[in-house]
Amino acid sequence: MDREQLVAKLKEIVSPYTHDKEALENIGPSTDFIKDLKINSANLVDVILDVEEEFDIEIDNMEMGRMLNVSDTIDIIEAKLPQL
Amino acid sequence: MIGNDIVDLAIAAVESNWKRKGYLEKIFTMTERFLITSAKDAEQMVWLLWTMKESVYKAATDKSKIRTFAPCTLNCSNLILHPGSATGTIVYEEQLYYSQSILTPTYIHTIAAAKLAILNQAKLTIDDYNESDSSYRSTNPASVSHHGQYLAMIYL
Repeated sequence: MDREQLVAKLKEIVSPYTHDKEALENIGPSTDFIKDLKINSANLVDVILDVEEEFDIEIDNMEMGRMLNVSDTIDIIEAKLPQL
Repeated sequence: MIGNDIVDLAIAAVESNWKRKGYLEKIFTMTERFLITSAKDAEQMVWLLWTMKESVYKAATDKSKIRTFAPCTLNCSNLILHPGSATGTIVYEEQLYYSQSILTPTYIHTIAAAKLAILNQAKLTIDDYNESDSSYRSTNPASVSHHGQYLAMIYL
């Protein structure tokens, strides 16, 4: 899966928790979950759990701490996906 | 220096499913999860502990601008529940914070600060939140929190 596909998947995942739908349409690497998408912090946990389920990976608490925007989240997912 | 956090329980019930598998483990330490499972009102305990962590996080990060989302690194303890209120302590990055909470059937609100004197002098207002009205910013609050229908502000 390339980065563009990963961003598209992530967009689907964050969609139900996003309070700024316009920011969601313009999602890009620098999009911040809290500042841009207005996701409330209790729902950040749902985003992490959804990412774990979708990609069948485990995210530890250190990694979770860094998952505040699209590019950092994609970096963490990419590093955990099996290499092709 | 000081932080506050409010949870609108009606909104939380709709937007957050804390009973979801793995959810509590991402946010709460083992000790905190024990408080939740042994609480008379587990839902109230979830959001009480959550507001304690969020208010400490806000109190800590207005100094350093480093952003991270690591709720398990904030440790709540010494929790004492009274009818309608609670007090506790939280340790975050080797700093001890004190918290005071208000528990109502519709919202839970917590203030936290590293100094008890600051906590005691803080003045709290809780109003209806109006998304299109940002005039509250000009009143110079020391900490702002809004969730659902509530706007909570601390003045020093």
